[in-house]
Amino acid sequence: MGPSLAIVGDNRMAEDWFHLARDGGLTVHRYGGAAEVDPATAVVVDTLPHGLEAKKRLLEDLDGTVPGASVVLTSCLRWSATTIACWSRRPERVVGFATFHPLAQRDVIELARGLDTADEAVRAAESLVRGLGKESALVKDAPGLVFPRILSLIINEAARSLDEGIATAEEIDIALRLGTNYPQGPLRWADEIGLDEVLAVVEGLQEETGDDRYRPAPLLKKLVASGRLGEAVGRGFHEHGEPGDDAA
Amino acid sequence: MANENRIGVIGAGTMGAGIAQVAVQGGFEAVLYDIAQEFLDRGLGRIRGFIERSREKGNIDEDQERRILSRLKGSLALEDLADATLVIEAATENLEIKRELFQKLDATCAAETLLATNTSSLSVTAIGGAVKDASRVLGMHFFNPAPLMALVEVVQGELTSDATVAKAVDIVGRFGKTPVRAKDTPGFIVNRIARPFYNEALRILSEGGVDVGTVDRVMRQAGGFRMGPFELQDLIGIDINFTATETLYRAFFEDPRFRPSPLQQKLYLAGHLGRKTGKGFYDYGA
Repeated sequence: MGPSLAIVGDNRMAEDWFHLARDGGLTVHRYGGAAEVDPATAVVVDTLPHGLEAKKRLLEDLDGTVPGASVVLTSCLRWSATTIACWSRRPERVVGFATFHPLAQRDVIELARGLDTADEAVRAAESLVRGLGKESALVKDAPGLVFPRILSLIINEAARSLDEGIATAEEIDIALRLGTNYPQGPLRWADEIGLDEVLAVVEGLQEETGDDRYRPAPLLKKLVASGRLGEAVGRGFHEHGEPGDDAA
Repeated sequence: MANENRIGVIGAGTMGAGIAQVAVQGGFEAVLYDIAQEFLDRGLGRIRGFIERSREKGNIDEDQERRILSRLKGSLALEDLADATLVIEAATENLEIKRELFQKLDATCAAETLLATNTSSLSVTAIGGAVKDASRVLGMHFFNPAPLMALVEVVQGELTSDATVAKAVDIVGRFGKTPVRAKDTPGFIVNRIARPFYNEALRILSEGGVDVGTVDRVMRQAGGFRMGPFELQDLIGIDINFTATETLYRAFFEDPRFRPSPLQQKLYLAGHLGRKTGKGFYDYGA
């Protein structure tokens, strides 16, 4: 039996982690917040992609509720692992991860250490990922790490192109699939991931670097503001019908 | 009067030859034009080789092979393209050369001949501006290798008529390709939206703490991309990729979103252009 695992968050990424861990034979529980987490938990996965107040509070609260955990694996889509680790009094056990839904399709999960992360915490995170049947890749700490960062910027550019009327959403997706052999068109892909998570990465990079290349596309911001987050709610860049409805 | 069944192609390089092949395989006659017999021989030879292999693999029979190749002609005289229903230009990516060519085509071809450029990064409007009747000038952007890639971007310049676009879309369909219509903006759809795949990977690499192998592995195994950004640049050619980025950057008036990477430029200047020179981001032991 592996270490006991707590998945915190009320989103599809939390669900993804839970199913992966359960199918991998780990002792795993899901929690909505820090207060409910079993104090004997060995490993905590924080799946909150954005939302400053909630995430800050979660990191602060975990200090008290799970004193014995060897690692707090935190989603670093919106902030660097270093920034998130600083919300805890124990930054040495905080390790960042960044990926997108659905986790089942990702053979590699990226990890990043913050400036104060201890080697043991990184090893614990790597061993957790291995235990779930995935490979890990240790990369440099930044919002969105590598795959979510590159894909989010592709989607951001696709959103701008759509907004400027260069082509329709359908045509943009067809063009990128057939012209570059992408596994999915960028706008449909964004709908699968969740537009809020894509925007979180772009905004995180803009805030972290101050570089104008990371200006979020106005259309992406509007869609997120209006709750059109993608497949999970039935509409995003495309219409998908009722959530859970296969006919899209 | 233009012959509805005849396509002219300018430039017998990889793209031009590929496009002429697509046309004859689609049932059209193709006249492949270039300025020297040796270029023509090379381009025609490439097409014949491809069709021959296609017959050897059993995709077509001998009779089909003979009929396809009978529809293919090479020419050193622009006049031989005069009655084509559509001429597709696949010459060097240089605006002045293309503008001159289009002026000649405008003077040579029938009034109803559509004049298309296969440019990937120049403005269709700027090329169309060189001719008297720009309503018949459009972009038809094929992807390399043209016989295998299904997509063609059909680009409407500021002066291109809707009828021109509609006719081009129809012909692309008869080529057996998938047309998508795009407005004339830098990089059109694909080359613009795919830019961050290379550029952001280069930015990540320049920030340090990660190597090209790790980035490529993550993009393949986490992202599901067929190739990672660095192995793909080595395949495309770092000179070609760098030039495309630089052209887009200038076309967008130096928007930082498209800023080229000094790291990529250094490889370009050193002549480490990827697989074709034996060294790029990876070493191929040339």
